[in-house]
Amino acid sequence: MRSVYLKELYIYFSSPIFYAVACIFLCIAGVFFYNSMVSESMLAAQIAQYQITTEIGLTDIILRPLFDGIGILVLFLVPILSMRLYAEEKAHGTIELVFTYPLSDFSVLAGKYLSGITVLGVMIGITALYMIILRTMATIDWGVVITGYLGLILMGGAFLALGVFASSLTRNQIVAAVITLGLILGFWIIGGFANILSGTYMGQFLEEISLLEHLNGFFKGMITVKDVAFYLGFILFFLFLTLRILESHTWRG
Amino acid sequence: MIAIDGLTKNYGPKTAVRNISFEVQQGEVLGFLGPNGAGKTTTMKIITSFMPPTSGTVTVMGFDTVKDSIRARRCIGYLPENNPLYNDMRVEAFLNYVASAKGIKRSQRAIRLDRVMQECGLSDVKHAMIARLSKGYRQRVGLAQALINDPPVLILDEPTLGLDPKQIYEIRRLIKALSTSRTIVLSSHILPEVSQLCDRVAIINRGEIVAIDSPQNLTAGLEDHSSIVVKVGARREDAVRIIAALEGVLHVSTANDCILMVDTVRESDLRPVIAKKIVAADIPLLEISRREMSLEEIFMELVTKEASIDA
Repeated sequence: MRSVYLKELYIYFSSPIFYAVACIFLCIAGVFFYNSMVSESMLAAQIAQYQITTEIGLTDIILRPLFDGIGILVLFLVPILSMRLYAEEKAHGTIELVFTYPLSDFSVLAGKYLSGITVLGVMIGITALYMIILRTMATIDWGVVITGYLGLILMGGAFLALGVFASSLTRNQIVAAVITLGLILGFWIIGGFANILSGTYMGQFLEEISLLEHLNGFFKGMITVKDVAFYLGFILFFLFLTLRILESHTWRG
Repeated sequence: MIAIDGLTKNYGPKTAVRNISFEVQQGEVLGFLGPNGAGKTTTMKIITSFMPPTSGTVTVMGFDTVKDSIRARRCIGYLPENNPLYNDMRVEAFLNYVASAKGIKRSQRAIRLDRVMQECGLSDVKHAMIARLSKGYRQRVGLAQALINDPPVLILDEPTLGLDPKQIYEIRRLIKALSTSRTIVLSSHILPEVSQLCDRVAIINRGEIVAIDSPQNLTAGLEDHSSIVVKVGARREDAVRIIAALEGVLHVSTANDCILMVDTVRESDLRPVIAKKIVAADIPLLEISRREMSLEEIFMELVTKEASIDA
């Protein structure tokens, strides 16, 4: 597992795809951060002018929109990070090396998945610099920051599990990315249907399996067993499906 | 070392390999010979446990390639067809990954890496990107990854495919050096290569083994007559008459002005008799030799015979 993990990281950090993705991600996340800073300062000016007392604080004006924005970016960028994991090996034939080395399918998958999580973590982690900038001019509720990042990583991990699953289905990286994006968006719009059907059992069910609904708690500073269990279960389920797909290469011929 | 028993592989309705059985002994070099699509690569992929057989069993060093796959894989170094490699990695980093994937302890990795890179002549390019290497060097990297854990069994699928003559020579020399201590199965459709490198040759066609023997026995077994080539300096017609009259000569034909092809019955070697008669007749004898059927001819004969039976 360790050997595959390190090899995947090596390839990530020596390929231009990662740098392109990270560059776009950080540029746009920076714009989001700037926007929320500006609206916070405008709001602060209004509050000072009209002497309103309000409960709205830093968390709601800056952190919530920033985390929401990063979440959307992750949604679009994960498919590009995950598409190569298996599809590239199949296209180049190196899958023949991987499957004839004395490594179990599980350890290969774990190595690949964890390398993806690490890369995602590095990208999201860099945005923690914004918090340091913020700290110079305001007091930050660090609890919300930590739970927010935890939520982002869990959601990114769920997206990545979809991505590695899609990548195991095909030898074409573009197809893998498109399937991943489709699956992620599918699990996203389910939330919309949930609103329409709210009040019914179906509505409740759809709300529970929507990938974004479970994020709200984390952004408010709450870690609930239900949300964590949902993401972990989701990840394990799709990694399990991936293993079954990989196994099928042995009998499909 | 390798025992294949009743191996069959179907791809959907198509049968790629049909009920083949053979064994490879320790230290032996077995050559797999056959036209494209005959089932060479399929057989090798099954031996390396990349895919399981439809029926039949393969054991490597006593480990079943399906039930005991991980242990069987530990004994094998595999160079797949077309030599797939990670283009984005540098040679040393790639081999280091392979070494750790094959379970070589960190403390021994550096020593092992140096040895293998030296053995394969890669020391000069160890910091180079694999994508930038020439085909010859890529092939050496492919061999190095197969050799890194010093496996007792090597499976090489078309190791000289697409190389230039000098590179082919070098890779062959390397394989020859490796064969002293290892069991090797290699496939090829270059016939001289197989006869040079291998102790035994398995000719495979349409998924079935049509012959398996040493190159010498294959050659001997298939000839139903021996041929002798005689080169004379002058008086060709007289020579033909003298030789045709000898007992045991089946047919004499002339290739050009001074070369005679003499077909004789298989058991006897008529060279001394022919030489004596020609010299006695005062005809200048320039050359006399026995011509053996080349592996190429045997291959063509076996493969085309098979095809005509099918038709």
